[in-house]
Amino acid sequence: MTYSFWRVAREALRGNTGWKPAWRDPVPKEHYDVIVVGGGGHGLATAYYLAKLHGITNVAVLEKGWIGSGNAGRNTTIIRSNYLLPGNEVFYEHSMKLWEGLEQDLNFNTMVSQRGVLNIFHSDGERDAAARRGNSMRLHGADGELLDAAQVRAMVPLFDFDNARFPIKGGLLQRRGGTARHDAVVWGYARGADRRGVDIIQNCEVTGIRVEAGRVRGVETTRGYIAAGKVGLACAGNTSRVAALAGLRLPIESHVLQAFVSEAIKPLVHTVVTFGAGHFYISQSDKGGLVFGGDIDGYNSYAQRGSLPIVEDVAEACMALLPCTGRLRVLRSWGGIMDMSMDGSPIIDRTPVDGLYLNAGWCYGGFKATPASGWCFAHTIAHNEAHAIIAAMRLDRFATGAIIDEKGAGAQPNLH
Amino acid sequence: MSKTAALNPSCQLVVIGAGPAGLAAATTAAKLGVDTVLLDEQPAPGGQIYRAITETPVTKRSILGMDYWHGAELVTAFRSSGARHVPGTTVWSVTREGEIGFSVGGAARLIEAERIILATGAQERPFPIPGWTLPGVMTAGAAQILLKASGMVAEGRVVLAGTGPLLWLLAAQYLRAGGRIVTVLDTTPPANRRAALPYLPNFLGSDYLGAGIALLREVKARVPVIGDVRSLRLLGENRVREVVYQSGTAPERRIGADLVLLHQGVVPNLNLANAIGCRQEWHEDQLCFVPVIDAWGTSSIERVAIAGDGAGIAGARIAAERGRLAALEAAHRLGRIDAYRRDAEAVAPRRAITRFDKGRRFIDLMYRPRAEHRVPQGDTLACRCEEITAQQIVEAVKLGSTGPNQMKSLLRCGMGPCQGRLCGLTITELIASARGVSPADVGYFRLRPPIKPITLAELASLPKSEAAVQAVVRG
Repeated sequence: MTYSFWRVAREALRGNTGWKPAWRDPVPKEHYDVIVVGGGGHGLATAYYLAKLHGITNVAVLEKGWIGSGNAGRNTTIIRSNYLLPGNEVFYEHSMKLWEGLEQDLNFNTMVSQRGVLNIFHSDGERDAAARRGNSMRLHGADGELLDAAQVRAMVPLFDFDNARFPIKGGLLQRRGGTARHDAVVWGYARGADRRGVDIIQNCEVTGIRVEAGRVRGVETTRGYIAAGKVGLACAGNTSRVAALAGLRLPIESHVLQAFVSEAIKPLVHTVVTFGAGHFYISQSDKGGLVFGGDIDGYNSYAQRGSLPIVEDVAEACMALLPCTGRLRVLRSWGGIMDMSMDGSPIIDRTPVDGLYLNAGWCYGGFKATPASGWCFAHTIAHNEAHAIIAAMRLDRFATGAIIDEKGAGAQPNLH
Repeated sequence: MSKTAALNPSCQLVVIGAGPAGLAAATTAAKLGVDTVLLDEQPAPGGQIYRAITETPVTKRSILGMDYWHGAELVTAFRSSGARHVPGTTVWSVTREGEIGFSVGGAARLIEAERIILATGAQERPFPIPGWTLPGVMTAGAAQILLKASGMVAEGRVVLAGTGPLLWLLAAQYLRAGGRIVTVLDTTPPANRRAALPYLPNFLGSDYLGAGIALLREVKARVPVIGDVRSLRLLGENRVREVVYQSGTAPERRIGADLVLLHQGVVPNLNLANAIGCRQEWHEDQLCFVPVIDAWGTSSIERVAIAGDGAGIAGARIAAERGRLAALEAAHRLGRIDAYRRDAEAVAPRRAITRFDKGRRFIDLMYRPRAEHRVPQGDTLACRCEEITAQQIVEAVKLGSTGPNQMKSLLRCGMGPCQGRLCGLTITELIASARGVSPADVGYFRLRPPIKPITLAELASLPKSEAAVQAVVRG
């Protein structure tokens, strides 16, 4: 079913009772050319681009819960491409361009809102770093503007500009950055993949990976064995556990990151703001709730819940930046499991097992990468070779030393 | 505030809730030498059943009845037990490691406890019928709070509708206090009598039998009671004006009303237990989830015990005894008493539980509310915070949503300020009925701290221990 103005109008008159499921609920086949493990944004995007760009449609996406029930449904929905190093910036700018055309491509409203992403700074040194980053972004075809304090004030007047510890001196703004509706991204890719023949199999947990003579043959699941020509892993915080099923030990730690949402209020924060010095970021949802988060909890965990010291730390940072939020009630907090790589940058690559591919190490910024991650991972799986865009995102870089040691990209375990 | 400021950052036992279970648990534990703190949301002890017992303006004892004044003994014993009482406290987070986040006087605090007893009691079952969100519609429990805490009854025409023993108790208390009840609409399905009949002999030995019959007679002598009420609807533009119902096979009837009080039984208040991750299971007789506990009330999380109606609806007398059992076990595990003494002291509470449990099955089956009053249809709101209708939930099930947590991402139901407290059971039962499976297979919302909304300023004021500072200092 194609979504169009006429169909929306017709359903509005019929009480929205004529909508059909947007993807099938197929029984797993015995064999697939490609199995993608993980039905989050990255996994579904991978299947979508495999089918759309590489003509590989005998594909299954296996998801242990329902699609989008992991980090795809737990993030703070920010999209941006404000990186410094070429190894990252080319990739994230590719992702940003895909975001900009995603709704037309998928025929699905993913609510991409280019409301801007503003990184604020507090000192001359930080201004220099922001200018350097902005220049790098522009050199790579992205947009970036250096704002002074007055320009920041015009955007978010309620900041505490004269905070004794962190006076706001300006910010680096990427106007093309913003937010997208996380669940809709999952549903859009799922629908697109399904329409091209991909089987989306939910409630199907992978319990084993069969490897024979150094080559992957298929996966054991809670719904039986499924043979596969190739297997791609896109399972975020559970990557270490799933990869271990094939005997792989990865340079990844799993950490919990918490996020919070307040009660809904009138528009207060019109853009996405990151307050790097306070390990804090905030935006406002379309419904009006302030969505914010901070640092990772700092210990390894597979639990989707965090600890109270970080809660206090995040609330304190919010109060430091926006003192007016003090009387706002926090409605809910939640945690997601982050696959933290040792240099803070992702891994999209082949593995020592033939036919087994890895998409991981997203640290706490996987959502914005969703389109390009799927796009590049599909290429890697289809051609058994990495695309030039992700040439640096190799698995062996932690052995060779060719790491992508981006600073200021968020928390990373090797720095703490 | 000064009391709280003096509170140590850790203690051996924290009891949450100062109803019968919490008061009895804290008293028992403190008397055995356990360092005990009782946190409670209300300004005065008593919980819901004994609300405001120490300060109610309703001093004429016959109005609230002897079952209410029984609570005074519990409070007196508690006052002399040595346990510390921190009233006016909202507990918004409990971790499996025993860290409890709470707010009092506008500031957030932490306390660490070796053991925790949740005595969070019961809450009223949602009653999602057409018009249930109109101004002028309250739960019977809310009316009871007004009566106990402030001595207030409503003016105008009050209609009481629903089922369950507490409906009759409130009706009697209301009438004695001078309230004017126009009609009681009894929604108890007549078929329940047949289902409950085999358990009648057991109920004949119950302590509640005589009191129950007296209550029924008292109310029926003063107010018209209409039985077998179904298809209940509430009408009105900006507030409720009329109640529409059918009784038996008679045609639809209407009565005017200024205030409608709804009640169809109580269910365990599981919000904290659920957020900590205590296992729970579906109770088919009581039509609600109950926590999985052992004979001492210990939940699936070893540090946490659950006592009182929060562990399954059984009434105030059993709640207090279950509180004592949980406290004995806590004292034992904390090394204050040995297993022999624990078991010896548990004999009397267990005997009392057997006594007061007589007829429970009869009451459960007799007052099981109608499906049509639990599982709404069409445009009736299921989740009132996010304004999600029953039909929307059914449509989402057709599109493949299988449970309440997935429903959150599709419709946002249960994500408003009440965090699903008011709609949780309704959503579960709606999905179960649309899928044609048991609520046990559908499950419940996974609740997240803060269990109750708390301001950012309170969160930011959490005191920092050395360990907490270390947890966030990097590099």
